[in-house]
Amino acid sequence: MSRTLVGRAAVAVVAALAVTGVAACGGGTSGVDGGKIKLSIGVFSDFGYDSLIKEYQAAHPDIEVEQRKVKMEQHHTQLATQLAGGRGAADIVAIEEGNVAQFRQSKDKFVNLADYGAKDLKSQWAAWKWNQGTADDGAFVLGLGTDMGSLALCYRRDLFEAAGLPVDREEVGKLWPTWQDYAATAQTFTDSTPNVKFVDTALNVYKAILDQTEEGYFAKDDSYIADKNTKVSDAFKLAAALGEKKQTGALAPFSQEWNVALKQASFATTTCPAWALALIKAGAGDEAAGKWDVAAAPGGGGNWGGSFLAVPKQGAHPKQSYELAKWLTAPEQQKRIFKETGNLPSEPAAYQDPEVTATVNEFFNKAPVGQIFGNSAESLQPTYRGTKDSKVTPVFSNALARVEQGKQSTSDAFTQALKEAQDVAK
Amino acid sequence: MAVETTAPVDDRRWLLARLDGKYTPYLIIAPFFLVFGVFGLYPLLYTAWVSLHDWQLIDGDQGFVGLDNYAALVADANFWNALGNTLSLFVLSTVPQLPAALGLAAVLDRGLRGRMFWRAGVLLPNVISVAAVALVFAQLYGRDFGIVNYLLGLVGVDPVDWHTETWASHLAISSMVMWRWTGYNALIYLAAMQSVPKDMYEAAVIDGASKWRTFWAITVPGIRPTILFTVITSTIGGMQLFVEPQLFDPGGTATGTGGSDRQFQTLVMYLYEKGFRLFDAGYSATIAWVLFLVVLVIAGINFSVTRRIASKG
Amino acid sequence: MALDTAPPVVRPGRDLKHRKASAAGPLVYALLVVVLLASVFPLYFSFVVASKDNSVLGDAIPPLTPGGNLIENITRVFDTVDFSLAMMNSLIVAGTVAISNVLLGTLAGFAFARLRFRGRNSLFLIVIGTSMVPAQLGVVPLYLLMSDLDWYGTLQAVIVPALISAFSVFWMRQACEESVPYELIEAARVDGCSVSRTFWHVALPAVRPQAAVMGMFAFMTAWNDFFWPLIVLDPNDSPTVQVALSALASGYYTDYSLMLTGASLAVLPVVAIFILLSRQIVGGIMHGAVKG
Repeated sequence: MSRTLVGRAAVAVVAALAVTGVAACGGGTSGVDGGKIKLSIGVFSDFGYDSLIKEYQAAHPDIEVEQRKVKMEQHHTQLATQLAGGRGAADIVAIEEGNVAQFRQSKDKFVNLADYGAKDLKSQWAAWKWNQGTADDGAFVLGLGTDMGSLALCYRRDLFEAAGLPVDREEVGKLWPTWQDYAATAQTFTDSTPNVKFVDTALNVYKAILDQTEEGYFAKDDSYIADKNTKVSDAFKLAAALGEKKQTGALAPFSQEWNVALKQASFATTTCPAWALALIKAGAGDEAAGKWDVAAAPGGGGNWGGSFLAVPKQGAHPKQSYELAKWLTAPEQQKRIFKETGNLPSEPAAYQDPEVTATVNEFFNKAPVGQIFGNSAESLQPTYRGTKDSKVTPVFSNALARVEQGKQSTSDAFTQALKEAQDVAK
Repeated sequence: MAVETTAPVDDRRWLLARLDGKYTPYLIIAPFFLVFGVFGLYPLLYTAWVSLHDWQLIDGDQGFVGLDNYAALVADANFWNALGNTLSLFVLSTVPQLPAALGLAAVLDRGLRGRMFWRAGVLLPNVISVAAVALVFAQLYGRDFGIVNYLLGLVGVDPVDWHTETWASHLAISSMVMWRWTGYNALIYLAAMQSVPKDMYEAAVIDGASKWRTFWAITVPGIRPTILFTVITSTIGGMQLFVEPQLFDPGGTATGTGGSDRQFQTLVMYLYEKGFRLFDAGYSATIAWVLFLVVLVIAGINFSVTRRIASKG
Repeated sequence: MALDTAPPVVRPGRDLKHRKASAAGPLVYALLVVVLLASVFPLYFSFVVASKDNSVLGDAIPPLTPGGNLIENITRVFDTVDFSLAMMNSLIVAGTVAISNVLLGTLAGFAFARLRFRGRNSLFLIVIGTSMVPAQLGVVPLYLLMSDLDWYGTLQAVIVPALISAFSVFWMRQACEESVPYELIEAARVDGCSVSRTFWHVALPAVRPQAAVMGMFAFMTAWNDFFWPLIVLDPNDSPTVQVALSALASGYYTDYSLMLTGASLAVLPVVAIFILLSRQIVGGIMHGAVKG
């Protein structure tokens, strides 16, 4: 009896290994499959490519495309591992704006899209977006821009009304032409309704202010200037003041707690790039329809987020990958993506298109989001992201969070942040 | 070992018999060492090699730096912070857990009705996907709307900011770890208890010993090797704590540093941050190696301490 | 052959095992109910959310009663990712790892416990040492190794490193120490059994309960593993369940009800295996062949 058990087990192991062997043969990221070229495109969250890909496959019968969607944080970690290992990356990969600088350093692992004529596409984008995706002064084209963040300020109408503030979005926009005015509004709001927080987190405010400066932590020549740059300390102090006065919810953006706070309407404003609208809607739930609205952000336009499509060198079909990426990022397609997912196009031809500017968002009280974000995009001053930007940013975020949580004073937190950032940036 | 068989009939049988005795043990343990050699030893040595270089994750080897990484580590306040957090979390989650598991096993060992049902139930926390665990505990320990704070409010206690306070975060994470692993260890003890000779219990019953006394005088010493085993495995697991605190961190693996003040960042979390977010693979490897040595030491200490405790009876 | 199958030894008083302690009183059951509730609650919560929709997670009072969306969510799960493939893959991976650990672990454990050979103690210390190596440490060199072997996106990349672990060797050595007395081996040798026959027909049956426990744990660990599979597996080609769950959560915003539906489904096979193996775990009839 025991012998049979063991015998059966042994058979099972052999069988399992055999099955594995068969399953293994199906592996391989890109290749030629019965005459067709298989391309893979690695994205995170929703780039709106589902129907577009179907169309592309129909128009190109010799090409098959598969999408790989993973969570954003995993996506970039995996990409790093895949580049390090030299294998396993998709033929086309999306890279988010915050991570581009990091991957730009390893540009030797990517195809220079200029080799396939990408430079001809340059005029499709605003200069700042194009430059973000290039290296070596434009000689190396790392990625083609997909969407962009653009910045507005979302607010809760009913909470504003309860606090005696104007509710109409034009007037709300007039409340805060500058961030100092925004802070003043926060005070007015808190004075009349002290039980509700004015903003979800000081981190978003700080980020928005910094994103509007030309040079933040790093100067355009990539030298570290955070300790000398008054823009950084001013932004930090303003945001930290909100935190110290407990006018923020001290929430981690887009976390589960943030979702709950949205549903419970425990904060009245938040900085919202175009892609955040869907997140706010999902978190607040259907019963909040019409209660949120969108106004212009203080300080003019800004950009938060947006991505690029790049082609890793390890892929087998760089030319076809480039063609697909080029098509996906063309203004026509970006317009369609906007209609489906609300991702804001990064090309003027698209976001200035009357179809786009006429779009309203039902949930946000029929706000003309196409117009609002388009205007923001026009007026935005791009900020320079240094190569080590992603290493320095968490230092300051943590410092600001400590102030929000009441663990440190603003000056102590800032001093500590400067010290830590110094170590990381060298 | 009695290796002599009856006198072999011919040369081949003789050879097989020789091989059988002398080399079989090595053959038998070879699979383990083969797998370990390729997938355990090689990464270990490779990591040691990497720790001696300035090694970037994507760009690779940037030059030999000798022990510079180790020197930097000793001077790194974040490292000592992570070490302290790890030790604290380890103690908080393991010290109550093992006795609780022991007690649970004792309870499960009785003549219960629906035995299988209870045993399966106890194992469930270990079976549930980590994603679900993260969500549930986020709901439990939320600052404004969490269930625990709600219950505390019922008895007049102020809401606790579980993610911000150091002590609170350690308590919360320990509860996660304990919830997840107590049942697992309980089943291990339970399996071991089946091997305790029944006639010893018979003798105790005849002698009129109480259940408590029986437990301490017979059961515990009877499963002493297993207890030692779980102490070692829990030590190793506790010192390498990563999943539970990472799930507890609202920033996750993307931006999380174990809290704004690194109040619950463990060594492995720090390792991950340095290697996979900041791409400093050399430093990350250094942390890994130091962690390995620390685990060796602590496991050794625990082993000798427990051996002394569990040997009465 | 004297020890072809270990004889069922029925010893007097053995039935006392079932009456070892007086039947559990109500206090005991009360305690068990509390423990069970605490253990089951997250699973129940997952089920509740899975049967409703995402927005209930934001409610001030968390949802506690099931809703009616379960079927719809299950359909969505299978539409979004190839969940049945993922389950199949996980079964293959976890099953192979479990069986392999039982076999190879018992072999090694038997060798360390009952065979004398040179270097036995030092080799065993090395085994213990290897268990202290943190998993995350090996990820990058392991990945490079997988790239060289061209195993990226294949199931063997996940199976082969887990074929045998220090835990298994440790555990089964323990089991052999406890349940395979020297007398038994002597008897086998006297009868002319070679080492391998001794192993298959004497040792292995004797440690069946412990082997079943170990197989169970190996299965569960392999089933729940997500760190390494997430790095080395392709979510489209050959995901395991944990990788698929991660893909479910990767929408524009995290659709928790979708993900938790998947998580609830993912628990079922493990519970099934547990029930299947439970008779072995409780203590087989063969156990205790030589006692006292």
